[in-house]
Amino acid sequence: MSTLLQQLANGVVQGALIALIALGYTMVYGIIQLINFAHGEVFMVGAYGGLATYTWIVPESVKDVWYVSLPIVLVGGVAVSVAIALLMERFAYRPLRNAPRLAPLITALGVSVFLQEFVRNFYPNATAALPFPGVFVQGQLVIGPIRVGWSGILLIGVSVLLSIALQTYINRSRMGRAMRATAQDPDTAKLMGVNPDRVIVLTFVLGAALAGVAGVLFGTYLNNINTDMGFQTGIFAFTAAVLGGVGSIRGAVVGAFIIGLVKTLAGQYMPGGTQYDYVWIFVVLILVLVFRPQGLFGEPERVRA
Amino acid sequence: MSKLANTIKPFARPLAILGGVLLIVAALLPWVTFALNSGKYPDLATLQFFDAPFAVTGFRWHILLLGVLVLIAVFAPIPSKGRVVRSLGWGGLAVALINSIFITTEGGGLGAITAADGNAAFGGIVGIVAGIAVILGGTGIGIELPAKWKVKLSTPLAYLVLVVTFAAVLFAVAQTLTAGGQGGPANPYAGGLFLSFLGFAAGLLTALNGIGLIGWISELSEKHRVFSVVVLLACALLLPFTNAGSEYWMTVAANIGIYAATAIGLNIVVGLAGLLDLGYVAFMGIGAVVAANLSGAAASKVGIDLPFPIAAVIAAIIAGIFGAIVGSPTLRVRGDYLAIVTLAFGEIFTRSAQNNIGGLTNGANAIPGVPPLDLFGKEFNEPLNIGSVELPSGVLYYVLIVLLVAAVMAIFANLKFSRIGRAWIAIREDEDAARAMGIKTGKAKILAFLVGATLAGLAGAVFAHKNGTVSYESFKFLESVTLLAAVILGGMGSIPGAVLGASLLFVLPEKLREFSDYRLMIFGLALVLIMRFRPQGLVPDRHRRAELAGEDVGGVPVDEVHEHDTKGATA
Amino acid sequence: MRKHSVKSAAIVVGVLLVAGACGTNKTETGASGGACDTSKGTLSIGVIAPQSGGLSALGLGIKNSSQLAVDEANEKCTVKGYKLVVDTQDDEANPAKGAQAATKLSSDPNVVGVVGTLNSSVAQTVQPILSQKKIVQVSPANTNPTLTRGEAFATAPKRAFDTYFRVCATDELQGPYAANYLVTKAGKKKIAIITDGKTYGEGLAAEFSKQATKNGATIVATEKVGEKDTDFAGVIATIKAASPDALYYGGEYPQAAPLSKQMKSSGLNIPLMGGDGIYDDKYISLGGGDGDLATSVGAPTDKLDSAKAFVDAYAKKGFKDAYGAYGAFSYDAANAIIGSLATALNGGDWSESKRADLLKAVGTYSGSGATGSIKFDEYGDSTNKVLTVYQVTGGKWNAAETGEFTG
Repeated sequence: MSTLLQQLANGVVQGALIALIALGYTMVYGIIQLINFAHGEVFMVGAYGGLATYTWIVPESVKDVWYVSLPIVLVGGVAVSVAIALLMERFAYRPLRNAPRLAPLITALGVSVFLQEFVRNFYPNATAALPFPGVFVQGQLVIGPIRVGWSGILLIGVSVLLSIALQTYINRSRMGRAMRATAQDPDTAKLMGVNPDRVIVLTFVLGAALAGVAGVLFGTYLNNINTDMGFQTGIFAFTAAVLGGVGSIRGAVVGAFIIGLVKTLAGQYMPGGTQYDYVWIFVVLILVLVFRPQGLFGEPERVRA
Repeated sequence: MSKLANTIKPFARPLAILGGVLLIVAALLPWVTFALNSGKYPDLATLQFFDAPFAVTGFRWHILLLGVLVLIAVFAPIPSKGRVVRSLGWGGLAVALINSIFITTEGGGLGAITAADGNAAFGGIVGIVAGIAVILGGTGIGIELPAKWKVKLSTPLAYLVLVVTFAAVLFAVAQTLTAGGQGGPANPYAGGLFLSFLGFAAGLLTALNGIGLIGWISELSEKHRVFSVVVLLACALLLPFTNAGSEYWMTVAANIGIYAATAIGLNIVVGLAGLLDLGYVAFMGIGAVVAANLSGAAASKVGIDLPFPIAAVIAAIIAGIFGAIVGSPTLRVRGDYLAIVTLAFGEIFTRSAQNNIGGLTNGANAIPGVPPLDLFGKEFNEPLNIGSVELPSGVLYYVLIVLLVAAVMAIFANLKFSRIGRAWIAIREDEDAARAMGIKTGKAKILAFLVGATLAGLAGAVFAHKNGTVSYESFKFLESVTLLAAVILGGMGSIPGAVLGASLLFVLPEKLREFSDYRLMIFGLALVLIMRFRPQGLVPDRHRRAELAGEDVGGVPVDEVHEHDTKGATA
Repeated sequence: MRKHSVKSAAIVVGVLLVAGACGTNKTETGASGGACDTSKGTLSIGVIAPQSGGLSALGLGIKNSSQLAVDEANEKCTVKGYKLVVDTQDDEANPAKGAQAATKLSSDPNVVGVVGTLNSSVAQTVQPILSQKKIVQVSPANTNPTLTRGEAFATAPKRAFDTYFRVCATDELQGPYAANYLVTKAGKKKIAIITDGKTYGEGLAAEFSKQATKNGATIVATEKVGEKDTDFAGVIATIKAASPDALYYGGEYPQAAPLSKQMKSSGLNIPLMGGDGIYDDKYISLGGGDGDLATSVGAPTDKLDSAKAFVDAYAKKGFKDAYGAYGAFSYDAANAIIGSLATALNGGDWSESKRADLLKAVGTYSGSGATGSIKFDEYGDSTNKVLTVYQVTGGKWNAAETGEFTG
């Protein structure tokens, strides 16, 4: 029983992380129908940006004062993520707006490989994993048999808060309405005075900001980062977005928590143990898609002309 | 026309002429101010002027040639002059820029290409300026569509033209493979020189396309299809006799062939039926594992030694069965949702193989010692003697794989123009309409997966014997990505496209070995750039071209549509 | 599009101008090689290891350490009349790419030997290619016993390729030695095993598990983590349920260190033990805690002058990357090839026909390297069976026990 509770808690922490990244996938897909494979790399770059901020910008005297250094590191990480996402959108994706459907996908994969190798080659000592400072309350929250690091709690809190904020923003604000309009019918939205370029840029910025936050919190939680981390987490996040129904904010978050839970629970209770935990994630995904092809919260695919 | 083109219009010809002359001057100027630390830059570029233009070699010769061609193009009465001039300019700029960047990084600063220690060398800078001048000149002259030649030839003459063309292609391929020379400690600049050669070749080819030659020849080869295929096959088989016929290049070419065959299979799924597959390399892996287990390798668990043809067929069938299984969700799942299902399958395969599922894959230890193929007691990895000519080892594999690729291409071509091929294309274009027209879409889609996977399984069987080891590490996501990129880069649904794309994506990393730690980074960048400049692929499928062009532009090929679009939108 | 291209080109050029200034890195020392006679030309030592991708940290260490050995040989004029260079080929840790790298090296008549590979699976494709040309290969890192003694390595060993040697210890040496220490010496009887699913970790853990069971311990849990995982909370909770008193990890430090840290902070305060893949200072900086153990081949570095010399020389060279887990082995591997080359040539000229002589010379080579004495047995394995158990105490690796594995 105590193991089950602990595994549930672990799954929730993992889900919270995946959710932050999945939101970026789902928004970009909703707007321009692009599987932005490089989004995982934006997350990775955010972590490195945070680390760089901590190493070179945060003054020595406040490095141990988490409530001073964490916000600075977060801002640094988010800034780097957003900058990379903007460059990516401007120079890699925008020229391909009218290209055949699969061309941007290859571009995304190319950007992903490029960013990974770029950081590996040019960030000092990034060929191997780097330690990340614990810029938050150290230690564990202990409730009965469950132990979760405080930074894990932070991850869950931030993830839930930001998804709610995002959902509200998209539902209530003017820009949010423009985003929804563009997602539904870009041409009509354009006629209604929505500037699609601005909407797309905003989408990338929002997604990247969340990924940057995720990158820094990931580092704080696990205390080390490497250049591969974006790829693997990115795949999970993409899976979560699809599971929840691409384009749906709620779906991405729910999908992420499902994946986090399936991974830890399957590792514990399924035959083969942790050796096959990935396999179970994908089995769940395939089953869901077979019975609900549009994902849990997705709208049935419209027939496009 | 754009504002820029209008402003420079009056000066266009002088600008182009100036650029052409400057290119020639650049070729004759020195390029490097001192002997670089890893050895002198090749082609006597270090502080050496040329008074005898015919003694110029390598990249400087390329620049010289481009300069002369620019001048000829400006003065000769040729069609779509502006386009030709501009293409040549891009070529010159690329060569000058690539070499300059390379020298600058190697030399540790701009001093290497400007002035240092009292020595000056401005070849690179002049070349860059000249390239830009030619491009501007070309733009000012006016960019028209590539010319269309109306020349009709009698059959024997057409055959002659085709033979000459393909011989030139063979020469060009051999030249490209050996461009920059074999890198190594003795030749530290091979990677840069190769890139420079690519820039030159691309400039020249687009110029030839602009003048209409390439379009004309492809029409010609389309008309004499069978003959072209035979000649092309002969050319491929002659490659071992050129200077690219070294053991190394034969091995690389054979590997490319294996991936090309797999890419053609993927082309059925992605290019024809329009089903995005992100885990395709798993089918190749299944084929390889099956073949390795039936090869009598010491580590195999089955322990029977079947002759290769039988093992290969079994491998292909089993891979095909898995293909049908993976394809079955397509009955319900569509579009990009399907992509994630295939990605999931690919991941499941690598995971299972790594965990030695069913004891069949030998887990992390892989299955080593898969024997090389043999025929009449001759092992395929041995050198081959034909009369007095000794061909290096690897040639036999190369020949086998060329034949395999040819066979797969034939299968693909037949399928494409068959009833089922048309059904696939219909599904790709509009699944609902296809269903409404009475196509059994579910069956057709599963069949696409099945056929594609079968071909991949076959390629995997050859892969197992060729490499001698089957390890899950050979079938990871990056390989699937590379294959998909090969298909899209080559041009979806096009038969030569997949082969061309696979060749490019597997030759490029080999030629870039000198960059060792920057290799994957450059590969990623190359993917982005190629998609940026040719999103429809290098050899767009003719049908697809027609489909995409739509009514409003009156059947103009898609690359032209694209170019108009971007220009109109932003310039 | 044009305007933007021009604009971005201008930015790129501007950045280049600022970054590059007008400097050069011109050095005035004409041909390097110093005072030695290099009139007969240049010979290459090939290196096949991952230079890009996830394992490049280890691969770059292998390359640099080989470079160090070659530089030293050039300074000392070890091979008379020749200048030695390193020819590094990236294998991306992919067997098929490794085969191409090997073919490239084997088609160069001036390649005398190859240091590599990192991965055992890559070695499997490289072995036959190099063996066809009689090129000696010395691996600094392959631990799979079948590479030297064939598929039936335990029962009926048979040399697989007579061109293949290795300076590192195989799994069936390191694993059992660790088991002896952990079970008999440290008295841990309930052991959990976690591996990363790769050749190295799997083999090591399998051999460890055999010996540990023989010594009377019980393996209470066996789990596997993904090779790119970083969050181990799930797997830790799983093994925690079995309440082990020690964890053996088959894998490398990038995963082992966070695993150890997360394990301890989740309340499971038991030592983690691993092989030479975790014996790295990075292990500690990434979170490996006090009490953790690692085995490594050879006597402790601070007791061996040759090891200290290597570490100092490497630091002096100023390489961008650390020598990593296999640096010292690569240095020894390269030195074994160079030393044997000097013996085989004995002042004579190199030609491809000398490769057979070189093979013989490597077979009888004997030297003392950064990892101890370097000598090969009849299968090509290192005869150096001295192993050391290290323990993290006070934030540093300290030798706990040195000995020879005797079964």
